[in-house]
Amino acid sequence: MIPGELKTNRKKIMFPRIANYNGVIRYFVEVCLEQEYIMPPKMTRHTLEVGARYSPDSVCTPFKSTLGSMIEALDIGADTLMMSHGLCRLGYYGELQEQILRDLGYEFDFINISEYSTGKKKDMLKVLKRINPKVKYTRFLTHAMDGVKLCEYIDEVTAEYYQNCGFDPSGRYQKAYNKFIMATEMVNSRAEIDQAYRKVKQTFQQTQLEKPLKPLRVGIVGEFFTVMDAFSNLDIEQTLADMGVEVHRWMNVTNRLLHYPGEKNMNAKINDLCTYEMGPTSTANIWAARDYARRGFDGIIHVKSAGCTPEIDIMPVLQAISAQEKIPVLYLTYDVQTGEAGLMTRLEAFYDMLAMRKDTI
Amino acid sequence: MKKKLTIGLPRAMLYYRYSTLWQSFFESLGAEVIKSNPTDKKILDEGTALCVDEACLSEKIFLGHVKALVERCDYILVPRVSSFGHKRMMCARFEAMPDIVCNVFRNEPQKFLTYNLDVILNQDEKKAFLEMGQQLGFGKKEVKKAYAAAKTAEQRQWKQQVAEQEALYKTDGIKILVAAHSYVIEDPYLGKPVLDILRELGVTPIRADIVEREPAVKRSTSVSPTIKWEMSREIVGSLAVHKDKVAGVILLSAFPCGPDSMVNEIIQRRIKGVPMLNLTLDAQSGTAGVETRLESFVDIIHFKEGTL
Repeated sequence: MIPGELKTNRKKIMFPRIANYNGVIRYFVEVCLEQEYIMPPKMTRHTLEVGARYSPDSVCTPFKSTLGSMIEALDIGADTLMMSHGLCRLGYYGELQEQILRDLGYEFDFINISEYSTGKKKDMLKVLKRINPKVKYTRFLTHAMDGVKLCEYIDEVTAEYYQNCGFDPSGRYQKAYNKFIMATEMVNSRAEIDQAYRKVKQTFQQTQLEKPLKPLRVGIVGEFFTVMDAFSNLDIEQTLADMGVEVHRWMNVTNRLLHYPGEKNMNAKINDLCTYEMGPTSTANIWAARDYARRGFDGIIHVKSAGCTPEIDIMPVLQAISAQEKIPVLYLTYDVQTGEAGLMTRLEAFYDMLAMRKDTI
Repeated sequence: MKKKLTIGLPRAMLYYRYSTLWQSFFESLGAEVIKSNPTDKKILDEGTALCVDEACLSEKIFLGHVKALVERCDYILVPRVSSFGHKRMMCARFEAMPDIVCNVFRNEPQKFLTYNLDVILNQDEKKAFLEMGQQLGFGKKEVKKAYAAAKTAEQRQWKQQVAEQEALYKTDGIKILVAAHSYVIEDPYLGKPVLDILRELGVTPIRADIVEREPAVKRSTSVSPTIKWEMSREIVGSLAVHKDKVAGVILLSAFPCGPDSMVNEIIQRRIKGVPMLNLTLDAQSGTAGVETRLESFVDIIHFKEGTL
């Protein structure tokens, strides 16, 4: 122990970065569960390279980036790592990542939510007890509701932002959005959450947009992590928006997890395309893709990490949608080597094709 | 006379796990069963042409087999097998297979037959087969009887297969445990050449996937508590039970296998004290590369055992 170091029995918890939800995770750890949250450094090429170095070759890319993220967090003082459970390979991430890190010689506490998922209702309570043994469930619950609200606000603002930011030459939109995301990582109460939300919404409303009557509209579907995480998808939404495209993305935590209409009700709208649930986010993606097509979008982009089994599986369905609804679909796969230049070329070509198509139709 | 109902079984993927059950079920119902020919280059090439580039080798082979059956039978069986219980899932690909096939062959007039096995959602095998039989227009009683007969036949055959493998552990000479999914190891284009090469090298290959399933699944948690795929759990459990009875272990997988990419890594990090070879098969024709690696692996084992 270094002399003068603050002695605390609070855990220093790290959870890998996911898109813009780091503020929500921080809120849950610090405000709801009264532990310390170590915000992992923003992911860089270095994160990916470190993660890939110690990962099995053919595992999906988020495994590699989150492993890299964990190593970087350990380097800045995290003592407790967390990993989620999940319905695809994600559910096995935790155990393998812990083993890899232990074999590398790191010392840490690991909370693997997969270990607690036994299909019973008490599972989540046990996880909370594990994070903070003195947790008071009633106190947790009141604060957790605010955390959920924060998540909903982030998704609402993000959706509005990418639909409009391409048509604001003043740059106020982007500034306000960045400020809002920064604020979400520092809020400590419902009042502060609401304040940040009101501020960004106000700026959005006051900004004059130069939007044409019928702008190009592109819907983005794809794998849960890569489609939301700007670093992992090389900021595809901003890139498209900067070309002057209205970018729509249904897939986010609010829509998929908090307010999901349920597998059956989602499937009811697409049961001519697929009879069964094909994977954790498959039904939603197929539905979203066809919804974009029927609402007259100009194109669809399918985003996934290399090796994502459920997303590879829905590609034949997307091909069917593309053929039936006569809508272009661009398939993008992101792996550790994906460079920006190659992506730019493909996106520009896709944009040009959509623009020409819109003129002729 | 009414024409006999014909059911096509693609000889790939779950065929190698369920062939007895399927065949005797449909035959008890009085249907005729048609199987596609064993995998060859043509089947693989046709499957590859139908698939998304990134699909796994086994899926490519499967679609090749389906293609070979199209318009040769009334129905082609493509089951959906999702789970056997909590943490006893199948790879998402088996969940998606019926819908993949329907979308890939959407322009063909071919009809497909599916049964949906999803124990987590209260859809066990018996119920699934009952629904499938009724969908074909057979009576409830008839289907129940056919399923019971098929299940008995399957269990008898499985018991015999397990006994055969267990007997191999007691043989003399060098034994190597080969851990692979049944559709990889039994496929004449993928795993079979590997087993043949091993036999030619004078060692006895033993299949890890043929094992009493329930105890193996239970045992697997001692190696890896959160492992979630049923077939991987059987193999991991089998490795844990048998690793001391063999001179070496070969982890055989088809490129790119989702579960194997992670489970094989855990196996290599956790099961110690036995030489291990990680061998991934891809669509390359020619076995020279595989042969070299197997030869050197067997040499290492001979060296270690002092029999070189």
